[in-house]
Amino acid sequence: MTRGARIIIVLWLVTLAACGVSLYRNLSVTTDLTAFLPPSVTPNQRILLGQLRDGAASRLVLIGLEGAPGDVLARTSTELARRLTASGLFAYVDNGATAAGRPEEALLFEHRYLLSPAVVPERFSTEGLKAALAETYRLLGSSAGVLVRATLPSDPTGEMRQVLARLAPGTGPDTKHGVWFSRDGRRALLVAQTRAPAFDADAQRRAVKTIDDAYDAVRPGASRLLLSGPGVFASRIRDTVESEATRLTALGVALVLAILYAAYRSIALLGASLLPVATGLVVGVAAVAFGFDKVHGITLGFGVTLIGEAIDYPSYLLIQARPGEPLADALARIGPTLNLAILTTVFGALAMALSSFEGLAQFGVLTIAGVAAAGVTTRWVLPALLRTRPASPRPPDTQVLLNRAEGAARHLKWAAAALTVAALGLIAWKHGQLWDDDLSSLTPVSESAKQLDRSLREAIGAPSLRYLLVARGTSREAALQGSESAAAWLPDAVRKGWLVGFDVPSNYLPSEKTQEFRRAALPERAVLASRLDTALADTQFRAGSFTPFLDAVDRTRSGPLIDVRTYEGTALGLKINSLLFRSEDEWSALATLNGVNAPAELAREASAHGQALIDLKEESNKLVNAYKNQALAYVALGLACIAGLLVAALRSATLALKVIAPVLAAVALDVAVLVLLGKRLSLFNLVALLLVVGVGLNYALFFARRHADEGERARTLLSLAVCAGTTLSAFGSLALSRTPVLHEIGFTVALGAALSLVLAAAFAARPERRPPPV
Amino acid sequence: MLLAATAMRSVAAPQEIDAQELMRMLAGVESATASFVETRYSPLLKSPLVTRGVLSYRRPDLLEKHVEFPSDERMVLEGDRLTMESASANRRLTTRVGAAPDIASLIESVRATRAGDLAALERYFKVGADGTRDNWRLLLTPLTPALGKYVRSVEISGSGVRMQRIEVQEASGDRTVTEIEEQPR
Repeated sequence: MTRGARIIIVLWLVTLAACGVSLYRNLSVTTDLTAFLPPSVTPNQRILLGQLRDGAASRLVLIGLEGAPGDVLARTSTELARRLTASGLFAYVDNGATAAGRPEEALLFEHRYLLSPAVVPERFSTEGLKAALAETYRLLGSSAGVLVRATLPSDPTGEMRQVLARLAPGTGPDTKHGVWFSRDGRRALLVAQTRAPAFDADAQRRAVKTIDDAYDAVRPGASRLLLSGPGVFASRIRDTVESEATRLTALGVALVLAILYAAYRSIALLGASLLPVATGLVVGVAAVAFGFDKVHGITLGFGVTLIGEAIDYPSYLLIQARPGEPLADALARIGPTLNLAILTTVFGALAMALSSFEGLAQFGVLTIAGVAAAGVTTRWVLPALLRTRPASPRPPDTQVLLNRAEGAARHLKWAAAALTVAALGLIAWKHGQLWDDDLSSLTPVSESAKQLDRSLREAIGAPSLRYLLVARGTSREAALQGSESAAAWLPDAVRKGWLVGFDVPSNYLPSEKTQEFRRAALPERAVLASRLDTALADTQFRAGSFTPFLDAVDRTRSGPLIDVRTYEGTALGLKINSLLFRSEDEWSALATLNGVNAPAELAREASAHGQALIDLKEESNKLVNAYKNQALAYVALGLACIAGLLVAALRSATLALKVIAPVLAAVALDVAVLVLLGKRLSLFNLVALLLVVGVGLNYALFFARRHADEGERARTLLSLAVCAGTTLSAFGSLALSRTPVLHEIGFTVALGAALSLVLAAAFAARPERRPPPV
Repeated sequence: MLLAATAMRSVAAPQEIDAQELMRMLAGVESATASFVETRYSPLLKSPLVTRGVLSYRRPDLLEKHVEFPSDERMVLEGDRLTMESASANRRLTTRVGAAPDIASLIESVRATRAGDLAALERYFKVGADGTRDNWRLLLTPLTPALGKYVRSVEISGSGVRMQRIEVQEASGDRTVTEIEEQPR
């Protein structure tokens, strides 16, 4: 080994070690989808992202138990609720039996005079007290007498009844055997709210696993556990994607290794050919970790795709080298072309790396650093490590076959051109329906899972994930007043059947204005005592029994108003925080709605009262659309950079066009095939098409290369066949997946790579007449 | 000798009744209608609060308590649907038992006894029985904290398949006594 080679290897190892140490120290992976999404522009999108991240509705897990007799299910439900509560992962767990005696109830009772809508000055006049006491007396004789009696001395006017009437709209599930059941009595129902925010996929997965485990531990015979909710969807999808990805990647890797071994017939060469892509991954991820606070899980997942073309670089070099030939000699021949192959990808990702969208920027940085590192490893480290290509058994004689194939491809030139024109026409015609802007298609949920979610959501009366009512204001106070205004007209909308129920933060946290009004309605102790005595004379109640009432009113008069801190650490506190928040310099108070039947009417009524109905689905579609448009703009910019680079390097616009044209044609045909198959493009397809551009340009560049002799041309053809073979194997395996994400990526890349190869061959100029490149 | 001892024992306590047997006996009733007088004894009241009305039951799960005096109030528990209606206050509230677990379990004590459904009773109460077929007493102690917060014990007594008296000791210290006059059928 020469001294130069030694220095290169040491530098390479030091770089790898440095990246490794830095990754070990700094790598912080986030699965927060919202960090990946663009900085949202509109207030509605901010609300959408906030809700996706940690909205109360997106933390809910809906649980159903079925397939066993009712009493068995009821016992399971009780035991499950007990275990889940004990796990500490849930803010609350409710199966109907635990409804009473929550810590919140004591808080609401304590603050009943600030919370009850019945508290007005007249309520505490002698006449008002008399009327309230008469009502209480009547209720004492009813079946609810025992409840009325329990709080009679401290709440003779029944304010707690007023508070609870607004909170429990009576739309809850049926109760059988003491716990919630579906209407048909076949399914026991529970609901749990995770403490962890919805975006924390690992915590959500832990929560789901805790439920599964708790159920397994108490499983009574033949019953079934049904789970739904955003966190459940996310972790189930992740499980499927990960297991399928692992399985199919293993298949892909096995095929790739088989192809490479068939080409090299040498374990040493096989090992060496994997070094660049491995180096690229380590350096690329380290660069992202260095440049950004957190590396996104999606960046890591698809980074492999983006750096995928790096597996081709050693193939071009090692196959080009004749057995026993120093790699440096082979590099002298293909060096300029290999440089261009690497640089085109780097240039293509430059624009993206500068994007203000963190997700795109991470993709860009990962691609640039990864591909550049893989290129450097191929160009300098491999020759230093191997020096010469080991003499290995000749690869299978495929020369004749490949020559024929190339010849056949050239005959396709005009057909390919015609097809490309047709594809462009189809894309232009369908351009309005080309893209799928539905955020949920990125993480598709099966129809049966959607149906289960609907039925559980309806049975439990859990809030809709789609609609929210927002009251905005310049302060928390203003937003809460808006929330109170909404709470005033929404009951009417419920009566009209526009929706089934709603929940507003002002029920628990009235505006200061309202609280002050109520507090001012409370007379001072001596006045109240004397009015009460007068009122009691006309009732069946004994005087002197109501000191706790006088104390409570006094406490409220002299005590503080309710604020967010009042509910700290309770499920209500969590709920208020997710429904009432500040973004930028604006406050929003959200109302969750359930069973929305008439969104148009609700939207109209809301805007008439100064609030707004938000359709989260629509907002998320707009968001994805904006993201896609940004991504497309950066891709176009990247293509322009590539074109500029090629013109400069090849010193000929015609030649540059000949390299780019087959790639663009392949992309157009790829998209046209997807459209003909009835598919719509998502961001995943876009990422896949970027890789197609990367590998396609390499094919075109090597086809366009000038060859000294037939042997060299044959080796180029073989290296191209090996590269295409490995790409097709790796991504063809992914295309076998039943998971839409994996299938889409696999299919798009495999098809695009095949098309790129054929078209590059078809459009390649005849070698004899080509002017020499650089 | 053994035979004689067995005979002796059955003579000594010829009609001693346990909860199972009592429930089996009551389960034979298809429907029942009775007038009732309920009296609440409370230190908060100048005089006991007396209500009168009609209590009716129909198998399997309908219990209606219709208060006719002093005001017109109806409470119907059918399946798990609890309806409270006040004619005098012109108000009607239908709720599911799940929304009012405490009241529901108290009403269940009457309905389940009337239905002879021991399993339903045991869901909410520790159940004890004594007396004879002709003069039995069922003592119910709440098991759930939701009900225990309000009720110390419920004592139901009767004769044969007739329910005659319900006495509820409330946690507040109040006591309600319901005297029932079942129409013989």
